[in-house]
Amino acid sequence: MAHIPKRPADLPDFEAPPINEVVLGVQFSPPKGYRQINAGEVWGLFRSGFPKVEEHEPIAPMFETFGLPARLVKFEVMPGPVHDRFWFVRPDGTELIQFQQDRLLHNWRKVGNEENEYPRFEAMMTQFRDELEKLGEYFGKLSPQSLFISQCEITYVNHIPFELADRQKVSDWLHFVDFGGPEPEDFSIGFREIIRDADGPPWGRLTCECQIAITQKGKRIIVMSLTARGAPTDNSKESAFEFLAKGRSLIVSRFADLTTKAAHVKWRRTR
Amino acid sequence: MSIPALMNHDLDVSSCRTSSSTRFTPLQFEARVLIDEVKPLWSADITKKLGELVKLEPGWDGYRAMPVSFVNAVFAFRVLERICGPATPAPMIVPGVGGDLQLEWHTAKGDIELHVLAPNNVRAWYTRVDDENSGGEERELKTDFSIVAKWVQNVTEQHAGAL
Repeated sequence: MAHIPKRPADLPDFEAPPINEVVLGVQFSPPKGYRQINAGEVWGLFRSGFPKVEEHEPIAPMFETFGLPARLVKFEVMPGPVHDRFWFVRPDGTELIQFQQDRLLHNWRKVGNEENEYPRFEAMMTQFRDELEKLGEYFGKLSPQSLFISQCEITYVNHIPFELADRQKVSDWLHFVDFGGPEPEDFSIGFREIIRDADGPPWGRLTCECQIAITQKGKRIIVMSLTARGAPTDNSKESAFEFLAKGRSLIVSRFADLTTKAAHVKWRRTR
Repeated sequence: MSIPALMNHDLDVSSCRTSSSTRFTPLQFEARVLIDEVKPLWSADITKKLGELVKLEPGWDGYRAMPVSFVNAVFAFRVLERICGPATPAPMIVPGVGGDLQLEWHTAKGDIELHVLAPNNVRAWYTRVDDENSGGEERELKTDFSIVAKWVQNVTEQHAGAL
């Protein structure tokens, strides 16, 4: 069994975090010699653990670039035939691999009665590392090449129960939201931060989105999503893993900054 | 505590998560004040041109040239967003033979060439007309194009002011 590294000692930790989904992913240049007909062979790499398949629309390439402030404009160019995004799903639906010709992602999510336990980042990373190694080896057999990774992305989605009948305030949970009077029926807010080391160049963006939502069971929740995305230092797999580890630390720290001490008590913060 | 920038419709957050479409319903806002989206002047021309270049036939140069790769086209577009103001004139786009491309401005004030070799791999060159003694300035850039934004402003100032 692969070695699972320890969680960094200085990172905030919760025994019962409101985590609902975590996604680790990389975007890479489409490999030489690969065509959509090869997707079945890629599934073959993971099929024993992920026997179910779903087809979805592909995700467009995304790049975090820096310079002038800009409002993102949709890039409406169709490149020709489009490769599907495949989901390879575990029998119980708790984990899935998303694959398209320029992306590999691994999702963990709560399903069913939502009692399945979050395996934690270190275990997810160990698995994702193995999956990316396998994919890289496969592409290398199609044509001598290494994966050229251009973007990395890590997302944490939290579901915070928020019933109107409980007379809760959003500010009971989120530090940065105070409506100063009656609570709104619903809201949707978000912000982005440039990620950079002290005085260094920017290496990514952190996006935070919060909105009210209704679960399929009719429960009112605040969905709080935090995403760190950017380019790895040198396009290699190892750089990508470093980015994801840094992104995770940043997300967990910002989550602790943005949520209240009262919330931390409910989520049993231990560090 | 104040609310950070309210810019939700601007965010381009991961569509990689699965729960957003399948397991909960975000509330829909019935009334929303939206400021009309003003696209930068360069974006229509550039979108059209890049659309043509990614569809070039292999061997378009009479030899073995490749069409501009889609990822290079997307990356070039995202670079332009960070270096052009709303009224900046569109650059010329020159396809390379290996799926790469160049973005170029040549004005009375100077010249800029950005060679997009791959995502996060851009060779940038700038020279000012009033600086004949220097060979120009050359940079290898990855994701931060702040310096190029200044160059573009320098060489296109007159154009932008006239619009």
